Amino acid sequence: MRSMLKTSVAALATAAVMATGAFAAGHAEPLTGDLRINLDTSNPAPRATMEAMIARFQAKHPDLNITTTVIDREAYKTQIRNFLSADAPDVLTWYAANRMRPYVEAGLLEDVSDMWAEGTDIAQELASTKGAMTIDGKQWGVPYTYYQWGIYYRKDIYEELGLKEPANFDEMVANCEAMIASGRKCYTIGTKWLWTASGWFDYLNMRTHGFDFHMQMARGEIAWTDDRVRQTFANWRRLVDLGAFVDDHQNKDWQQSLPFLVDGSAGAILKGNFAVAPLREAGLTDDQLDFHQFPSITEGVALAEDAPTDTFHIAAGAQNKKAARAFLAHMASAEEQSIINNGENLGQLPVNANASIDDDKFLKEGFAMLSSNSPGGVAQFFDRDFPAEMAKAAMEGMQEFMVFPDNLDDILERLESVRQDTY
Amino acid sequence: MFPTPIEKSSRQWQIGYQVLLPIVMLLWLAPLLAVALFSIRPDVDFTVGNYWGLPSSFEMLANYGQVFNSAMPKYILNSFIITVPTVIGAVALSCMTGFALGVYRFKGNLLIFFMFIAGNFIPFQILMVPVRDLTLDMGLYNTKTGLILFHVAFQTGFCTLFMRNFIRALPFELIEAARVEGIAEWRIFWYIVLPLMKPAIAALSVLIFTFIWNDYFWAIVLTTGENAQPVTAGITSFNAQFRAMYHLMSAGSIIAALPPVAMFFLMQKHFIAGLTLGAVK
Repeated sequence: MRSMLKTSVAALATAAVMATGAFAAGHAEPLTGDLRINLDTSNPAPRATMEAMIARFQAKHPDLNITTTVIDREAYKTQIRNFLSADAPDVLTWYAANRMRPYVEAGLLEDVSDMWAEGTDIAQELASTKGAMTIDGKQWGVPYTYYQWGIYYRKDIYEELGLKEPANFDEMVANCEAMIASGRKCYTIGTKWLWTASGWFDYLNMRTHGFDFHMQMARGEIAWTDDRVRQTFANWRRLVDLGAFVDDHQNKDWQQSLPFLVDGSAGAILKGNFAVAPLREAGLTDDQLDFHQFPSITEGVALAEDAPTDTFHIAAGAQNKKAARAFLAHMASAEEQSIINNGENLGQLPVNANASIDDDKFLKEGFAMLSSNSPGGVAQFFDRDFPAEMAKAAMEGMQEFMVFPDNLDDILERLESVRQDTY
Repeated sequence: MFPTPIEKSSRQWQIGYQVLLPIVMLLWLAPLLAVALFSIRPDVDFTVGNYWGLPSSFEMLANYGQVFNSAMPKYILNSFIITVPTVIGAVALSCMTGFALGVYRFKGNLLIFFMFIAGNFIPFQILMVPVRDLTLDMGLYNTKTGLILFHVAFQTGFCTLFMRNFIRALPFELIEAARVEGIAEWRIFWYIVLPLMKPAIAALSVLIFTFIWNDYFWAIVLTTGENAQPVTAGITSFNAQFRAMYHLMSAGSIIAALPPVAMFFLMQKHFIAGLTLGAVK
């Protein structure tokens, strides 16, 4: 009760501060000039979501001249360095953690620690991702959405075989044996573009040794030839040797791996929440498709999750940093985050703890999991947490391991030499 | 004569040929047919793994409609705005350089000609960074003008090679006769040489049009947004963050491929004339 009182007092106080801020912005010193926003939300639905969110900001600040450039999401990844150094916008979308590190280190992103300072709305409501936004003790952006990872499985098939959601790794393996005995594969995966395999590594490693160990690896503090890393791969090998994964997965992209789940020749998939939409479109009902958290492996290791976070940043070369900060604050508010993440828009999880969640089975489970059952921490995803060079080599090694598990020694030695070159 | 014309070979050969031809043709066209088929499929077919069977529903109107409701028309317009001036610029410049290098004998003629050719032998990827910096310094980064100017500069080398050799093959007596009549040099170029170059101009225009229309590399290096990007770079804008929209990309590709194909069919006569003109004397 006391804490509730405290929060409401704090909320009132911040509301008052905000109101005066808005008053100041609206009357004494309205935001003027140009505000240039670069977006990578190129697909029609997210694009409309972002444009509507920007329009609401524009309505609050009619004197501001906002230009929005939408760039194809893949092209954006190669162009970001280009436009940040050559033709900096004021505000841009990007990703948290290691993915922003090169641009932070090159001095291309603005330090927004002031927005995260103690007592601000952002510091209170977006606390779950503060770690992911921090490099060298400073914050470099503000997140707008994230989504959970976990195991999406065919509930009807599990029930038919009398299987339950596994509570630990042994049960997971036992489920898998039953699945194989029924002539199916346990997990579908398409490793053609490598990253899907690293999702398995993230979970196996975080469940075997914990979040902190995983992050030490990401920072290059642990040798790939370390026995603990071998232990992670040994757990993985239990599944590979069982024949748990669909054949020829190295020739399929992740979308091409979905048909196995749809026709029931595989029972489950480890994937982010974005897999739900196409699976529903393909005819799977919420009675057939269900979600469970990746089960614990080593007892006593705190569960940690992958939840890739998408963010807004201010360019260091921005012309209108005042308006840019106002925009970030607008986007971070509970109200905006509820709207942009609802089912009609992004269909993901808001980062703001006060935002409301859409009435969607998977979003609800994901939100409950991330907010109350992920005590170990929240990782971004392998290729966002590990430096690019290391991630590329490691993901190639993981794909090779899944096809030729006997090559493990070679693979780990190769990765170890990459680690020594990278860090 | 080798190879023996098919109508002179034995009957078995002819039958074998007639049977094999459609099969090989189907194989050859398979990727294109797949794209055409994908472009009328619904999205769901890709999730249930129905790649080659009958589409579960025919979504031709919906898919193509969505293509036209997206930024595609803008991208296609950009492509035209970039391609047409480039073709005109490169062909016009190369007519003049070709005339100068083909008709006049002066010191360094061969050297200049070699420099034009040498430009063609540079793998263009290594020019990426300097060209990008140059357009940036000139304030032309992410503009259609920047892309046009670069294409004109780069294509003129190849066009000059083509035009110079074509002019060399023209009967020099025509020019000499005109000079004897006392006609000014620019009039010789305009009234005598240029009309004779029509087949070459037509052939080159078609060729350059397809080159520039299909350019992807420079489009993504020099432009970033839909205000300047041509259709080749814009087509991937159908992709979502996580999902590749195969059906929309296929429909978009077919639309994007139509102008160069139409160009070829309309100009086919000139195209073939240009290619064979020098061959039979």
